[in-house]
Amino acid sequence: MDIFLKDISRDRIATWDHLIDDLNNSSIYNIYCKSDDYYKVLKQIILSLLTGKEIILLDSDSTDAEIKKLTGHTDLSEFNTVLNKGFIPKINNKRDLIQTIKNPPPNWKITLFTSGTTGIPKKVSHTFTSISRFVKTSERTKDNIWGFAYNPTHMAGIQVFFQALLNGNSIIRLFGLSNNEIFNEIRNNHITNISATPTFYRLLLPCSEKFSSVKRITSGGEKFNKSTFDQLSIVFPNAKITNVYASTEAGTLFASQDEVFSIRSDFEAFIQIKNNELFIHGSLLGKTTTIFGEWYNTGDLVEIVSQQPLKFRFLNRKSEMINVGGYKVNPLEVEEVILEVKGITNVRVFPKKNSILGNIICCEVVSSDHQITEAKIRSLLQYKLQEYKIPRIITFVDSLPTTRTGKIKRNS
Amino acid sequence: MAMVRVNMVLFLGYYKIRDDINTYVMKEIVLKIINTVLENRAKPKVKLLKPDMHLRNDIGFDSLDLAELTVRVEAEFNIDIFEDGIINTVGEIYTKLEK
Repeated sequence: MDIFLKDISRDRIATWDHLIDDLNNSSIYNIYCKSDDYYKVLKQIILSLLTGKEIILLDSDSTDAEIKKLTGHTDLSEFNTVLNKGFIPKINNKRDLIQTIKNPPPNWKITLFTSGTTGIPKKVSHTFTSISRFVKTSERTKDNIWGFAYNPTHMAGIQVFFQALLNGNSIIRLFGLSNNEIFNEIRNNHITNISATPTFYRLLLPCSEKFSSVKRITSGGEKFNKSTFDQLSIVFPNAKITNVYASTEAGTLFASQDEVFSIRSDFEAFIQIKNNELFIHGSLLGKTTTIFGEWYNTGDLVEIVSQQPLKFRFLNRKSEMINVGGYKVNPLEVEEVILEVKGITNVRVFPKKNSILGNIICCEVVSSDHQITEAKIRSLLQYKLQEYKIPRIITFVDSLPTTRTGKIKRNS
Repeated sequence: MAMVRVNMVLFLGYYKIRDDINTYVMKEIVLKIINTVLENRAKPKVKLLKPDMHLRNDIGFDSLDLAELTVRVEAEFNIDIFEDGIINTVGEIYTKLEK
């Protein structure tokens, strides 16, 4: 059986033939894609590639308030359009599908949202060239079986999806499963490649079993510590473990075996390091609504290890973005929403170091209403923010410390 | 001699009772913390904890809940229970806190 996607959380095994039938019989398309069913998300991306229509990805757990803020609309079903017969090219088989996808209509684009620096999420659009720039297709990659451990509406998930799709590989969902289910899926499906955040791997450990089918473990989104790295080498004895640096704006940019990233010589012209800050040339980026000039400042601080060839190591981010288990949270966005809670007059959102997620979100609030409790604020925020953005520890204070310029101090 | 032995027994008994009380209090605090985390996520609370209960499979914690648990436990006991790696059961929390 040639599997396209296996998702045991939904009892679903979709073969490539099933997918092709489904695509050939599709009659409705919506530019907005918001679903917690991985199959529906991946199918809709493929449908957009076949029709050349834009696709805008929204997280399935986004609240109605967040959707309104991002899209300006409340009812996305208004955007359903009928696909007339003959509008989608007829697909005969898997080979045919992959060939057609590799040459999508020129207007096709995929749009995602990323935490902006001002509190308003930023829209980033990629063309087929920019999204598939780092996809490798070869004899060696054609039989890979992917353990899918990302959210499919985030950049990392999209990149894994395109790598698997253009190689005709099978995708096995691992994200959101219990450890036992994850281990069963790796063992039973002979998964060869897994790409996930360090938090995902950390939560798999300790594990006494060994999985020899896995050839490649990729991690990104946060710093990977040595202890996790060592334990993973034992659980996956045949795997090459790689760190990647990627961003929603540019996709995957660099990979390394350890903390030091070396830059290929043909790539050096697109990278600049000024005052320890990493800049990327605009030609590598997707289109964003923010104007940044020829060079884009990633907000990442790096330390140069060698000039020729260029090697560097990441220090941390200069920006105020908080990394929660690989998800970036903008404290300003969270503060804005908390200030909407009646009775709260001031708020400070800040990170606290955490051994599981890297950081967790905390906040201090000044409240004029003594009836307000932590649980009450949390339950109100559930309707306004995605779960990972909601502060996990809320403390009540009489006033908040400010800097000399009157800004709220954000360091914990 | 008999007097010394009685005193010794009382002395050791005192420490045993004190340890038992401390363990009881520690377990009650852990229960309270776990229920705070559950309540904050609008998940059903637990009435009692057993050492073999699995934090994720039995209590229903996800990674965000586990992270919150570590912070709340650390604030109370000054111990990062996840510092040396992930722990999975209630009993493992007790062990970390009894040290």
